[in-house]
Amino acid sequence: MQRLLTKTDSIDMPITDETKVNDALEYVRQQYPEISLEEGMVLITVNHEVAAPDRILRDKDTISFLPLIAGG
Amino acid sequence: MKILHQIEYKPAKVVGGYTDCILRVNLGKPEIIIQKLPPDFKNKYVGGRGYALKLIWDGTTRETRYDSPENILVMSSGPLGNEPAFPGTGKFIVGTISPLTDTFIDSNIGGHFGPILKRAGFDALAVSGVSKKDLVILIDGGAGTITIATAPAYNKETDDGALSFGESLLKEVNGGELNDTLAAVTAGKGACNARFGIVNSLFFDVRRKRIRSKQAGRGGTGTVMRHKGLRAIVARSNLSKVNGNNAVDKEGVRQAGSKLKAVVSKCDTQQLHLSTWGTTGLSEYMDKFHLFPINNYQYGHSPESPKLFAQVFLEKYFDKKIPDGCYYGCNLACAKGAENVKLTRGPKAGLVVNIDGPEYETVGAVSSMGIFDPHFVMEYNWYCDEYGIDTISTGVTISFFMECFQRGFLTAADTGCELTFGNIEAADRLLHEIAVGKGFGKIVGQGVARGKKWVAERHAARNGTSQESVMAELNKFGMEVKGLEFSMYITKESLAQQGGYGFALKGPQHDEAWLIFIDQVHKELPTLEHKANALKWFPLIRTWFNATGLCKLPWIDVRNPEAASTSEPSKNIPTLDYYVAYLNATTGSHKTLQDILDDSERLYILQKLINLRQGKGTRTNDQIPQRAIGPAYFNEYEARAEYYDEWLQQQLGDSKVPATPEQRHELLMEKRIEAYQHLCDIVYEKKGFTSEGIPKRETVEKFDLMDEQAKKLLSQSGV
Repeated sequence: MQRLLTKTDSIDMPITDETKVNDALEYVRQQYPEISLEEGMVLITVNHEVAAPDRILRDKDTISFLPLIAGG
Repeated sequence: MKILHQIEYKPAKVVGGYTDCILRVNLGKPEIIIQKLPPDFKNKYVGGRGYALKLIWDGTTRETRYDSPENILVMSSGPLGNEPAFPGTGKFIVGTISPLTDTFIDSNIGGHFGPILKRAGFDALAVSGVSKKDLVILIDGGAGTITIATAPAYNKETDDGALSFGESLLKEVNGGELNDTLAAVTAGKGACNARFGIVNSLFFDVRRKRIRSKQAGRGGTGTVMRHKGLRAIVARSNLSKVNGNNAVDKEGVRQAGSKLKAVVSKCDTQQLHLSTWGTTGLSEYMDKFHLFPINNYQYGHSPESPKLFAQVFLEKYFDKKIPDGCYYGCNLACAKGAENVKLTRGPKAGLVVNIDGPEYETVGAVSSMGIFDPHFVMEYNWYCDEYGIDTISTGVTISFFMECFQRGFLTAADTGCELTFGNIEAADRLLHEIAVGKGFGKIVGQGVARGKKWVAERHAARNGTSQESVMAELNKFGMEVKGLEFSMYITKESLAQQGGYGFALKGPQHDEAWLIFIDQVHKELPTLEHKANALKWFPLIRTWFNATGLCKLPWIDVRNPEAASTSEPSKNIPTLDYYVAYLNATTGSHKTLQDILDDSERLYILQKLINLRQGKGTRTNDQIPQRAIGPAYFNEYEARAEYYDEWLQQQLGDSKVPATPEQRHELLMEKRIEAYQHLCDIVYEKKGFTSEGIPKRETVEKFDLMDEQAKKLLSQSGV
């Protein structure tokens, strides 16, 4: 659904040595205010691993915002 | 339609979710009996699966098989399955002795049949006996009649189809019109020829103005129905759907329902988007985390997978404007459908049909055959429903034989075609052969467990090797446990879900436990102890949903934001609190969540006892194929070598991993198999079982299940 709203598979963002996961979340919120990314609603992964909000990002890291899948 | 037997009755009123009546029909005699239940029956067995378990435990024996006259086909909702004020009601279960597993199976199913059966006066319907003629049962709560009649004949094509026949029958018994005062369950001709026949639940969708269908897909319940000579059951009630459970505290129900509806409304649109995509949205996430069961679960990810992602179905097929609840009042509304789809293959090529689905499981089943064509998914979905066969078992069994072909166990002379992964023509041909019980499809229709024996005999005779050695190889990749085919998730990277499938009492279906993300992605189950606790807790709460007539998705697939501040967010306890409130308001009880878990555990232990009686209840029966544990073959290891090498290094600590990839693969599998055995030990202890996976006497006594049959069974089992 994020893809339908943004018309893109991924976006790049500039980072510094101090950029954290939370900063990326805020960056996406500002770029795409129509996407709802509330805390507690999404699972954030960095390079397919669950990541804490204060994790420092490195060059080439891939961040995903996923639903909290638990069932079926 | 010739009436063979009919009774008049006055429908019992629903009070607090129950009528305290079971409708018993014996098709062999024929006979119709309304059984009044004692007051404590519902307290002990809850409803739904619980009622089916008790009827099967008392009414069948260890010799009973799916086609035995004494086998009972039970359909039962539960005390909460009949309420538009709460999301996700309307569910009922179909339970019986399975043609695939030879033990108890139940499959849950949506639509209007369960609620209408309840309003027509029955907590459950239990059908026994076998008729030589094809019959239908008509339960008319409005007219106050229950009828056994010969199945009407329309024309061959209609008569063979579960959907076509059901729609024609509904029209016939309702003066040529369709409306939502009546609903049907049907089984198609394919269910006569395959062991994985399904029961379709047909209902009139007032928004789409057409008949829609949901399916009890797993374990061959439709095969049992057809072997009884039963083609369809129609239930009718003119009573209002509003407050269908006649709750003790109607305001309490309204409040609980409002809270859940608010969470679903707010959160689904930020999470899985089930109301938009249905369950097809899962395909992308499964592929992303190497869980998509491609080529018989060999690979979890493919560059071709995006052809089967939700967006494709949304853009090409799903009607986007209409909410799709399978029962009234559900704002999750995930039962997607498509109108006016033209079939391009098979005996009905050219026909324009309405299709209900696909669900994720059907998409996964097609990927297991190595096929990534969305139109084939749609056609496969429709044909399976019309024939009355399970999309999951059909796909997994075909993909098993595809792998037998890939690895040289079978040739084109055996299968009648080049049965390679991705060969749509071959898969399509087999689908139709399974349904009519001809050609190689007749073998495929027996399922993976029996398929393995067939291949072993054939291959061993041809090559002068022992059947045992061939079977050992087939056991690596034949994706079944207890005789049931796996549902559509790869478990190689989640030890918890290996247990979720291995310990599942009915066989590897994920409705007991789906722990893959919690374990593999969220990392919330880091130790064996954590995994074992989850493997006790989740099957119990999920059992409760199957006993009460509820869909699990509004609970488990819509995370309540308040769960984030709880100790175990994945249990989504804040939402479960709404369910507890709904139960108490409906029935007038004062139960806690722990009380509910205890009620479920009684049912769980009873199901385990049935498994034990039927020869499927020990540690041996909980063993899973090597492919479910790890990369059974080197090609699978190579596809994820980096991940597997890292895992192996973690297990070895300071010791060095072996030098060659072949050695690493071999050691990896040894470690994985060892880990699964450790998991068995700990889980059995948590569940109150012996190390052989048999319930201890104190466990059976704790839940007041130690009747004479249980005593004898445990003695025979050395407990």
